Amino acid sequence: MRRSSKKSSSSAPAGQTKAVSKEVERIDQLFYTYADSSSGMVDPEGIETLCSHLEVPHTDVRILMLAWKMGCEKQGYITLDEWRSGLKTLRADSISKLKKAFPEMVQEVTRPSNFQDFYPFAFRYCLTEDKKKCIEIPVACELLNLVLSLQFRPQVDKLMDYLKYQNDYKVINMDQWMGFLRFCNEIIFPSLDNYDPDQAWPLILDNFVEWLRANKN
Amino acid sequence: MSSKKRPARIEPFRHRVETDPKFFDKSWKKLHDAIREIYNHNASGLSFEELYRTAYNMVLYKHGPKLYENLIETMTGHLQEMRRSIEAAQGGLFLEELQRKWDDHNKALQMIRDVLMYMDRTYIPTHKKTAVFDLGLELWRDNIVRSSNIRVRLLNTLLDLIHSERMGEVINRSLMRSTTKMLMDLGSSVYQDDFERPFLKVSASFYSGESQQFIESCACGEYLKKAQKRLDEEAERVAQYLDAKTDEKITAVVVKEALTNHMQRLFLMEDSGLVNMLVEDKYEDLTMMYNLFQRVPDGHSTIKSVMTSHVKESGRSLVTDPERLKDPVDFVQRLLNEKDKYDNIISISFGNDKSFQNALTSSFEYFINLNNRSPEFISLYVDDKLRKGMKDANEEDVETVLDKVMMLFRYLQEKDLFEKYYKQHLAKRLLSGRAASDDSERSMLVKLKTECGYQFTSKLEGMFTDLKTSQDTTQGFYGASSSDAGDAPLISVQILTTGSWPTQPCSTCNLPPEILSVSEKFRAYYLGTHNGRRLTWQTNMGTADIKVTFGNGSKHELNVSTYQMCVLMLFNSADCLTYNEIEQATAIPPVDLKRCLQSLALVKGKNVLRKEPMSRDISPNDNFYVNDKFTSKLFKVKIGTVAVQKESEPEKMETRHRVEEDRKPQIEAAIVRIMKARRVLDHNSIVTEVTKQLQPRFLPNPVVIKKRIESLIEREFLERDKTDRKMYRYLA
Repeated sequence: MRRSSKKSSSSAPAGQTKAVSKEVERIDQLFYTYADSSSGMVDPEGIETLCSHLEVPHTDVRILMLAWKMGCEKQGYITLDEWRSGLKTLRADSISKLKKAFPEMVQEVTRPSNFQDFYPFAFRYCLTEDKKKCIEIPVACELLNLVLSLQFRPQVDKLMDYLKYQNDYKVINMDQWMGFLRFCNEIIFPSLDNYDPDQAWPLILDNFVEWLRANKN
Repeated sequence: MSSKKRPARIEPFRHRVETDPKFFDKSWKKLHDAIREIYNHNASGLSFEELYRTAYNMVLYKHGPKLYENLIETMTGHLQEMRRSIEAAQGGLFLEELQRKWDDHNKALQMIRDVLMYMDRTYIPTHKKTAVFDLGLELWRDNIVRSSNIRVRLLNTLLDLIHSERMGEVINRSLMRSTTKMLMDLGSSVYQDDFERPFLKVSASFYSGESQQFIESCACGEYLKKAQKRLDEEAERVAQYLDAKTDEKITAVVVKEALTNHMQRLFLMEDSGLVNMLVEDKYEDLTMMYNLFQRVPDGHSTIKSVMTSHVKESGRSLVTDPERLKDPVDFVQRLLNEKDKYDNIISISFGNDKSFQNALTSSFEYFINLNNRSPEFISLYVDDKLRKGMKDANEEDVETVLDKVMMLFRYLQEKDLFEKYYKQHLAKRLLSGRAASDDSERSMLVKLKTECGYQFTSKLEGMFTDLKTSQDTTQGFYGASSSDAGDAPLISVQILTTGSWPTQPCSTCNLPPEILSVSEKFRAYYLGTHNGRRLTWQTNMGTADIKVTFGNGSKHELNVSTYQMCVLMLFNSADCLTYNEIEQATAIPPVDLKRCLQSLALVKGKNVLRKEPMSRDISPNDNFYVNDKFTSKLFKVKIGTVAVQKESEPEKMETRHRVEEDRKPQIEAAIVRIMKARRVLDHNSIVTEVTKQLQPRFLPNPVVIKKRIESLIEREFLERDKTDRKMYRYLA
């Protein structure tokens, strides 16, 4: 994002420009309170501090949402640009403002159109190495719990049970991950009446449904 | 005097017409009396010419209507008289009298018609009256045949006679014939209404009753014979004295009452029904059944379905019987016998009916694939036939058998599994020199190629080529190194191209020094002419002939495996060796070494070694000695190169695992091919198409197909369509 364009905009009234630049300054300042001096980024330690100031546990889904808002690429690290863009859209330049912005942020993220973007982001965010395309089952379970349990508690519970029980798959890939969301959105639960295994569902979900049906009694 | 002259006029000459008031009556009397004479068989005294002229004049002088009316009256009168005579006839004479009067009437009618010919041609058509002859028939019909007494009596008489004949009595058929002909002459509706319809009804209830009786008391075959007999009888009856059109109708009645209504009961009759006939090859009964039930709705399809479920059931119990699975060759032989049996039935009794052939094929396809060892067993059967020392070594016989085996092969779903086993077995046959006839082997290959295409057999053909080439190479080797042959052992080398032959893990083995040196010489020779290749000795597949002199003086030549040779050669430098020592010296893997030692020491008649202790199991400190007391009637003794056996459980799992692995890339290739052509496709269509494409080789599991699709998605060959998640999209 180019700050200069804002400043040199002739149509902006002088007063507003000043207010904007003040906001930017405060945002930047806030950044540097958490950033590690040598790397110039907020690192995991810094994030932990941030979280304690926000009074939100760092495993809370809201931190994940914040990461999405910021467009964070690497889990555990925030760059200046990411920080800036996130806080700007949240209109927060202080910890208290940031905290206040959270409820609205949660609402915004849970809107279906945004959630469709947030959900795969959560997966990518968890990929630890560059080349990796899958996350391990335990991590996947935790992530599911974090991301989907508010909306789809019963499905998530069952899915987590199944993932731990089965041993066909040791990791989950993006395709399967997206499949979970689709499953929660489209399939009637717990009856599973409209699930058709001849459709292009990932195999892991076919097996999940079979397991559910077998264990109904 | 001028008088006008009238022109002459010519006028027609007028006859003086006699307006004789009695003209009509006089004329009519002549005719009336003539008719009476005719009916009294007195026609000879009449003048045809005079009568004709009389009638002619009557019509000419416009007396047509009255003449016609009077004619009707007169004939009716005569017919009434005839009726009384017929009614008076007693018992059996009834029909005869009827017949006689009918003849009389017909003759009379002809003469009357001739006399009244002019009226027939002029008055009648213009006034739309019924022609004289037809009039006569109508009058007969109304006054005689349909008079209340005669009508009933006629029908009952006819039906009673037919019933008697059905019960075995002899009746007057010609009388029947002329009676029914009379009815037909009166009009087909008369025949149908007055005779045929009631006849069919009565016949239906007759056959219904009779069939019920028969079915309670007869076995199926007997019943069918009776039914056939009745059908034949009815056909004859129609031919003899009924109208031809009745044939179809009465046949339908018999078929319905005797066959259609009892079809299920007949087929399922215990101890004599269809299943029993099939089991006991009762060709005659089956032929009869097939022919009879041709006319029954769903007759043939019911036979087909009973046959199909029986074949499926007996096939299923055959292939799942654990006893049968112990001997693969016998297993397949039974399958072939079963196929022969039903082929015979279909050709002898079912007229080679194609739809029955197809039903048989699908039944076989069903149960042969119930046992997933069928491919292996069929290959073992072929192996058995192609080996040396077969009893029916007649080449023609072998050809026939192979053709039959190919039929079974076609039924297999997992043809790729068969290919794997066939390759293994063929390799063993070729390498152990056990193939009986090169021609038969090649003939089998040709058959497989015809069935499955070039790819199936190209590697197998490679095996034959390798052996031929190896012969040439070995000859070349000896030609080149003739100088230092000396007393080095003679070797015959078979060079196998990797990839054509089934992969065998090669294990360690320390060859005796004599062998080692000559084999290295060979390797040097070979690599000299074939640069860039690598040779690996397959010590687990070779054989050796060793000359042995035993302590008791007996000399023998032993034919042994390479491993066995390595073990035996050790005893040239030691009298006693423990198992451990042998293992160390030869470096042969323990499992193989133990088997090898067992075959050398523990098989009666082949125990060239002696083991202490004498137990079956081999423990590390067991001692082995040459058996100096060894004797055999033969000079050349062959020590156990085992013929191929059906695989043990772990081997079977291994082979199946390999086949499953081989299938994965084939499935993926099919998916990619299909998606490349179609670009976007839904899941079910992919599964269907893939199954179709791979059908000649094996039946892919839909779950495996799905897994492959997901793998292809992961590797970015495919993606899910973003708008319609039921579809997949090809990624270029």
